[in-house]
Amino acid sequence: MNQSGFAGYHPFINFVYFAAVLLFSMFFMHPFMQVIALVSASVYSILLRGRGAVRFQLALMLPLLLITAFINPAFNHAGVTILFYLKSGNPVTLESVLYGISSACMFVAVLLWFSCYNAVMTSDKFIYLFGKLIPAMSLILSMVLRLVPRYKDQIKQISYAQRSIGKDVTQGNWLQRARNGMTILSVMTTWALENAIETADSMKSRGYGLPGRTSYSLYRFDNRDKGFMALMLSLVTVVIIGGINGENSMRFFPSIKAAEMTAFSIAVYAAYLGLCMLPIIQHMMEAIKWRSITSRM
Amino acid sequence: MQEQRVETRGYGRRTLVSAFLFLIVIPGTILFGVYALDDRKYYFISLLIILYTLLPFAMVFERRKPQARELMVIAVLTAIAVAGRAAFFMLPQFKPVVAIVIIAGVSFGPEAGFLVGATTGFVSNFFFGQGPWTPWQMFCFGIIGFIAGLLFRKGWLKANKRSLCIFGGVAAFFIYGGIINVGSLLMFTPSISREALLATYASGFWFDLIHAAATVIFLFVLSKPMLEKLERIKIKYGLIER
Repeated sequence: MNQSGFAGYHPFINFVYFAAVLLFSMFFMHPFMQVIALVSASVYSILLRGRGAVRFQLALMLPLLLITAFINPAFNHAGVTILFYLKSGNPVTLESVLYGISSACMFVAVLLWFSCYNAVMTSDKFIYLFGKLIPAMSLILSMVLRLVPRYKDQIKQISYAQRSIGKDVTQGNWLQRARNGMTILSVMTTWALENAIETADSMKSRGYGLPGRTSYSLYRFDNRDKGFMALMLSLVTVVIIGGINGENSMRFFPSIKAAEMTAFSIAVYAAYLGLCMLPIIQHMMEAIKWRSITSRM
Repeated sequence: MQEQRVETRGYGRRTLVSAFLFLIVIPGTILFGVYALDDRKYYFISLLIILYTLLPFAMVFERRKPQARELMVIAVLTAIAVAGRAAFFMLPQFKPVVAIVIIAGVSFGPEAGFLVGATTGFVSNFFFGQGPWTPWQMFCFGIIGFIAGLLFRKGWLKANKRSLCIFGGVAAFFIYGGIINVGSLLMFTPSISREALLATYASGFWFDLIHAAATVIFLFVLSKPMLEKLERIKIKYGLIER
């Protein structure tokens, strides 16, 4: 379980942060904004997941980026700067090519943010956050997450028992194997259903659903969380104000026009950079602090 | 008798909430999208509408304070579907999820079918990775379970192999494939055109076909034993079908 760095903050902060960066990277098509989101998401995902993330980005994200960038000009023929004509007689325009690249960057940034989200927002945090709002649904969620590994173990046990009477999936010809596999699954299902009723009755006899019951939680909203929340919300506010004033947008059709650079727009970009880099900065600060503590000893 | 009354009240409220969502909130969202968002409007409007359709189910389910047994049955069926999706991870699209969701809908009614489907879509992505596709999958699986339960209750869908297999194939190909392709198109292209939509359907054709074939095969093999087991549990422990 990764609880260091940004993941160690309160689940509410994790959730709000990812909601904000995901929405922003979907909405703001200005090239600066996109580059900031893409680079930050990529760095953060490498920081979180190490070498696997580099491989993921090179093997999956890069081709996806290129393919998505090429799809748009093939179907979208709007724009005034015509580059050449396709065999079908439709024009390929500079605007639609750039638009394709831009939406490809957006798509890849969203996927990278989601890969960070998956590493930080573990299922227990999600259940903690939504346990009050949708108690029955989140109980189902946590039970399912528990049941899946349990069924795996149970299948193993059943298959050992079946092997001792020569009816495992590794025994007999392929038809028998398939049939044995079905028997194991059938035993499993019956066991699962019986076991479920037993669990439910046990829950009931221990007072599930009665009023006044509390639940255990691991998380506290402490001063560190408050400080982080304040910083995050102020950056989000600046970016949203910039978005309302049109600083973060970009017009592609009929001709390309990006918002002009002003002092205010630079402030908005800086705020967005700060927001996207927040977990990375936090991670680095923590590493520096740790180094200085250990070096003093 | 008591339960019956609560149940009908629940449905009445859902109809009310749904009516409110369909008549006021959804048109409002579309207007908001058209006037306030420019680039990402299609994806966001569709995403919000998907969330609105998930909402009444969750609300009614929470409101009527479900019993522990009911929760457990839904959790078990979801866990079987999730484990089934995980077990066939190496075969793309060859998944038993739709088959299990249909069986759940037929055996425990439309609401349980919807909940099993939507929860499976959500929870299995904790294992496969959440992404912009999660709400779409939740909606597609859920609505298939809901329709299966509804058709079964109306008597149009029979609990025999032939009827279930035909419905499963059609549902996996047209409902799941039909909606999920629109979703994946909207995820990476900001605007839709007829050609792009046709191209997406064409590129998804084989995947949808494999998915439909898998659903038919799994329903053919699983439907009879699974339905029998669920019937047995219902009779043995007195779970009344609603």
